[in-house]
Amino acid sequence: MTTYSTNDTVDAVVIGTGAGGAPLLARLAMAGLRVVALEAGAEKDPKTEYATDERAQEFLFWNDERLSAGENPLAFGSNNSGTGVGGSTLHYTAYTPRAQPDDMQMRTEFGVAADWPMDYHTDIEPYYDELEHFLGISGPSDYPWGPKRKRNYPLPPLPLNGAAQLMQRGCAELGIRTSPAANAALSGRYYQEGVGWREACTNRGFCQAGCSIGAKASMDVTFIPLARAHGAEVRANAFVTTFDRDTQGRITAVVYVQDGQTYRQKCRNVFLCAGAVETPRLLLINELANSSGQVGRNVMAHPGLQIWGEFDEDVRPYKGIPGGLISEDTHRPFAGGSADFAGGYLLQSIGVMPVTYMKQLARGRGLWGPALMEAMSRYNHVAGINILGDGLPYDHNYLELSDELDARGLPKPRVYHTDGDNEKKMNAHAEVIMRNIWSAAGAKNVWAFPRAAHIIGTCRMGHSPDEAVVNANGQSFDIPNLYISDNSTFPSSLSVNPALTIMALALRTADRFLKSGE
Amino acid sequence: MAYPLGTVRTLLDTDHVTPATRQALQERLDKQPDWQGLTLRFFTPDEAELLKQLTARLLPQPADREQIDVINPVDHRLAHNESDGWRYDVLPADPDAWRMGLTAFQEAAQAQFGKPFTQLDSPQQDQLIGQMQQGTATGASLTALQSKHFFEDMLAELVSLYVSHPLAQEEMGYVGMADKPRWDRIGLNELEEREK
Ligand SMILES: Cc1cc2nc3c(=O)[nH]c(=O)nc-3n(C[C@H](O)[C@H](O)[C@H](O)COP(=O)(O)OP(=O)(O)OC[C@H]3O[C@@H](n4cnc5c(N)ncnc54)[C@H](O)[C@@H]3O)c2cc1C
Ligand code: SF4
Repeated sequence: MTTYSTNDTVDAVVIGTGAGGAPLLARLAMAGLRVVALEAGAEKDPKTEYATDERAQEFLFWNDERLSAGENPLAFGSNNSGTGVGGSTLHYTAYTPRAQPDDMQMRTEFGVAADWPMDYHTDIEPYYDELEHFLGISGPSDYPWGPKRKRNYPLPPLPLNGAAQLMQRGCAELGIRTSPAANAALSGRYYQEGVGWREACTNRGFCQAGCSIGAKASMDVTFIPLARAHGAEVRANAFVTTFDRDTQGRITAVVYVQDGQTYRQKCRNVFLCAGAVETPRLLLINELANSSGQVGRNVMAHPGLQIWGEFDEDVRPYKGIPGGLISEDTHRPFAGGSADFAGGYLLQSIGVMPVTYMKQLARGRGLWGPALMEAMSRYNHVAGINILGDGLPYDHNYLELSDELDARGLPKPRVYHTDGDNEKKMNAHAEVIMRNIWSAAGAKNVWAFPRAAHIIGTCRMGHSPDEAVVNANGQSFDIPNLYISDNSTFPSSLSVNPALTIMALALRTADRFLKSGE
Repeated sequence: MAYPLGTVRTLLDTDHVTPATRQALQERLDKQPDWQGLTLRFFTPDEAELLKQLTARLLPQPADREQIDVINPVDHRLAHNESDGWRYDVLPADPDAWRMGLTAFQEAAQAQFGKPFTQLDSPQQDQLIGQMQQGTATGASLTALQSKHFFEDMLAELVSLYVSHPLAQEEMGYVGMADKPRWDRIGLNELEEREK
């Protein structure tokens, strides 16, 4: 394995190895660049060190304390972000729908959020196609929504679990179209460049606590080995704190702490991919790249309301890929006149691990005593559906540094999140539909768990340095050798789960950088 | 449907479970609860007694098996100042929030019944628990919002610890820890041999 000395001036340092960092790292290494990734989290061997146990897997989450403010405070930790070589993809559910073209035109279509400074068909779609084939995404051969794809998914869809069958039944009753979902988990063995054969999913249902067999396309079994095969070095347990800069303000070295020691890695370029909380936090702490005043602004989250119910059937919600089924019939619900909000959402069936379910039930329903024990005993009969909707940016939703310090002596971030009118209307619309689906499917004891997922938009990309932190290539307007590639650059949140699009943007940023010859 | 007592213990001895999973669960099963509170680092003896009575109301366990200890793991976490990644901004840091929350139970008990929480009968305790959950407990020096959020956080943590225990899992009818073979019978009403 290639290693570099901190005195080697490498071509690029990549900070963070999640959905935004890892694909880019591989791309740069494959172009022959000398690249080093610095990752705050640990590196483990999933095959021997991952347990099928939620508590034992808590090390996957970013557990440094964040302060959640506003009227709808966001839950972080296990609900939001991960750490380790692979970032949050280590615990993502692997649901990988493509965005639709209109998702990137919210300003044009509705006068809200911001348009993406790029063209869907030329800038994003080719990367979706490449990613689906590289990662080995399992999905249906004719997906009913969005532009027709150039190639089919490389693998057939994963089998439907109980929750997916129930959603299928309820939706059929109501005339809502459904389809097996695209998931970045292998429905059959798959040969992967730089990696070799990856094994098929065993339907263990534990994606959110890490995949121990490598079936799920997390970065540690896909882009990271590919990057290493082409000479990239990945340093785990390396927490970046600051940067050295020259008189022109360009970054000359990245300063990080590993095992209590401080190091400075000399470099020509920096790719900041620390996720939508740590990226703006690091910039704010160091007062960098913020002439637009937009660092930390535009916090968006996906409305993720869940509806749970109990069924007579044995559901066993711990089995099968958790998000087996999808419907995008609600992608633009106003079009049929049933909605009065901007954007739309998708519907997803959800399986659930026992601790996650009971924890949500405790928070959402507040049950305790005999009622709690009763609910617990019906776990095997539980199934859920949820939405994933386009959440808008507002002035009142932002991230700031608090004056409380964490164990590293750095200010804890405080994130304000209050639903706007649009989110309230969207949730209300979705709650009616999901309750109808669940009642058509035969659910009893139905309850709603209001929730928002993913944090997005805190270093927005755009055309102008007055309104955005980075340009369409991910390059900082203020510091030309600093790039950002993660969930923070999204100008709007999209009505689909973000990881596939983060990876697509990461590859695009790498390609644009390589083309520019910096 | 609950599995009989001992199901998970038996399962752990088979080759249906990977070594990493077995180790995590076996350690939890083997851990002896410390009901005297001798190893507590964070909670005072009074707080521990209060919490013990509180958890008995929140999570009434079957009496005919060993009891799952949820107090020591919380004590351990708070003593080591470990976080789960976030907290409500209206609450102080977790160690202070727990102290403040438990004190509030005592204050409300004194104000309303003239005795400590630990000397109340079960219906009185339940009444106060409900008030703390709703943020309506008179006598407690918390705002309504703090009271609600503290109670929610406390309940979520205690429930998570409880459900993480193999004894609770077999009572829920959960055998997902049998992770070595594939699961092929995953649709409605479909069970693998090891789930029956
Ligand atoms: C439970 C759960 C389920 C999810 N399911 C899905 C899904 O089904 N589909 C989907 O599309 N998305 C899903 N997501 C979201 C998805 O995982 C994230 O959107 C995505 O991984 C974000 O990518 P990122 O590159 O922005 O950040 P991350 O993937 O979080 O990567 C950031 C990395 O940077 C590191 N880092 C941070 N600060 C520093 C520092 N100072 N120094 C060094 N390293 C640092 C972190 O340790 C981390 O590894 C899910 C998320 C969760 C929590
Ligand atoms: S369900 Fe499949 S992809 Fe998910 S963790 Fe289990 S084996 Fe891995």
